Amino acid sequence: MAQRAAAALALLVVLLAVAPVIGDAQALQRLTVLSFDLGTDTPRPRAGVPFHLTLTLRVRERFGQIANIDLPGLAQLELLGDERETTTTPQGTQYRETVTVVAQNGGTLVISPGTLQAIDARDGKAKQWFSNGLTLHVAGAPSRAVYVAARTLGIALLWLLGIACIVALVVLLARRRRPAPRPVPVPIVPPPPPPAVVRTPRQRAQDALAVLRAERTRSAAIAVRAAIWRMVGASDGETLADVLRRTDSHDRVTRELLVALERSAFTYEEDLRAAIDDACGALERYIEDVA
Amino acid sequence: MIVERQPAALRAALAETIVGQERVIEGLLLALLCNGHVLLEGPPGLAKTLACRSLAAALEGDFKRIQFTPDLLPSDIVGTRIFDQRESAFATVLGPIFANVVLADEINRAPAKVQSALLEAMQERQVTIGPQSYGLPDPFVVMATMNPLDSEGTYALPIAQMDRFLMKVNVGYPSREEELRILDRFAVADTQPVRAVATLDDVRRWRVAAHAVHIDEKLKRYIVDLVAKTREPSEFIDYGASPRATLALAFLARGRALLAERDFALPDDVRAVAPHTLRHRIGFNYRLAAEGISADRIIDGLIAAVPAP
Repeated sequence: MAQRAAAALALLVVLLAVAPVIGDAQALQRLTVLSFDLGTDTPRPRAGVPFHLTLTLRVRERFGQIANIDLPGLAQLELLGDERETTTTPQGTQYRETVTVVAQNGGTLVISPGTLQAIDARDGKAKQWFSNGLTLHVAGAPSRAVYVAARTLGIALLWLLGIACIVALVVLLARRRRPAPRPVPVPIVPPPPPPAVVRTPRQRAQDALAVLRAERTRSAAIAVRAAIWRMVGASDGETLADVLRRTDSHDRVTRELLVALERSAFTYEEDLRAAIDDACGALERYIEDVA
Repeated sequence: MIVERQPAALRAALAETIVGQERVIEGLLLALLCNGHVLLEGPPGLAKTLACRSLAAALEGDFKRIQFTPDLLPSDIVGTRIFDQRESAFATVLGPIFANVVLADEINRAPAKVQSALLEAMQERQVTIGPQSYGLPDPFVVMATMNPLDSEGTYALPIAQMDRFLMKVNVGYPSREEELRILDRFAVADTQPVRAVATLDDVRRWRVAAHAVHIDEKLKRYIVDLVAKTREPSEFIDYGASPRATLALAFLARGRALLAERDFALPDDVRAVAPHTLRHRIGFNYRLAAEGISADRIIDGLIAAVPAP
């Protein structure tokens, strides 16, 4: 009985000792690692100038997330940013982590490999993979003034290049639209228009009278009526009553003129000659009156 | 082609009795000259009856007034046949419609059958009693009145019946000055009798003269444009005026020119008669009443939107 109890206790102790190892092994992902690389966007970074380190892992399995990757030691660098990207394709998964760093001092910089812990899907054993390491030669920091000047010059050059492109595009379009060149005739410069002469109501009435005397027709009567209506400030579409309402009620001569012109515009043919005579008489009286 | 005795004399005679109400007087005269009938709408006490009676007196014509009531019968208007026991035969008694000037007071108080009898007589200018047809006197003018304030127990005139009226005149209250003159004129004496200034023959001659008044082509196009404007889609109008309105506008413009002693019509003539010609011929919808807009305001807008020649 005592022997059985001792054996059970020993088995419990063994199980408790093994449990963390089993637990860790179950948390690891089961991966078939195809490649695991560490790279940089510049082999010769400058002190004080940020650059990027990229850790890339490709595995055959498709996972939304890869765990247990450790970045290389970046003790000599200042970490400015970290960006992770996991891309899943039918061929597997690619994990890319890009860290932005800056070296504060010049000299040779040795960057240790990144590590990955996972269960190797090929044999089912927990393993640790190492990427390659990097040895970078950091140049000294450029002077601030030189850096700013170079940067300003670069921006100015970019602007100049952009403007040159736009000008070239405009010239190209203008040339395409322009018709074939023709012989350019000698431009004939018209004489400058005579200065606008403001005609007085009397002159306008005289013009109207001359027109009506020269052409005793309905169309001439209508044209004269329109001219006189404009002269007294009437607008299109108004009737005689509208115009008379605005005309000074004591201005008998103007009112008679408007009525006579209305008659010449709307009376019947047999009465037209008499109506035009009447309108001419009213115009004469108006001319005398405004004089 | 101005006739010797002018219709303007008739206007002056009416103005001696009736204070103000120029629109009513002009409407009555235009109806007389254009051989049409007038619908007068306005509250009671605005001299509508006096105007009709005065017109008949000024023409030495007959005047009859018919008060329309819900129990009125068509025979009460046109007449009937009565058996004469002494003669042992039916005798025809002509109704009050046989007059030169007939005032149909509150026409919308009689049922549709009576309204229809009157409107048929207005249109045909004759009535049939038993086997016999009787021509109505010439001139024959009906002045129908409607009271817009008291609509309970009334029979609204259908738009087809309204269309038979040449014009509809809204009768308004007199101005303060006019009302003072009314006081002076009627406070002491009773209604002054109207002197006869024309005869029925004169009216017939005036009608011929009115027909001869010249309407220029530009004016005809203006009339057509005005009526067409009422038929354009509108927020407040269901249907526009009929071609009868086009004819009425031309008739009335001619009549107005004759009243002004002209033998050619002007755009002013058309514009002046347009509201009275279109008012009862346009079908307004419920939105007009719902938004409290007067029909005359819409009509004024329509007229203003068409430029005169």
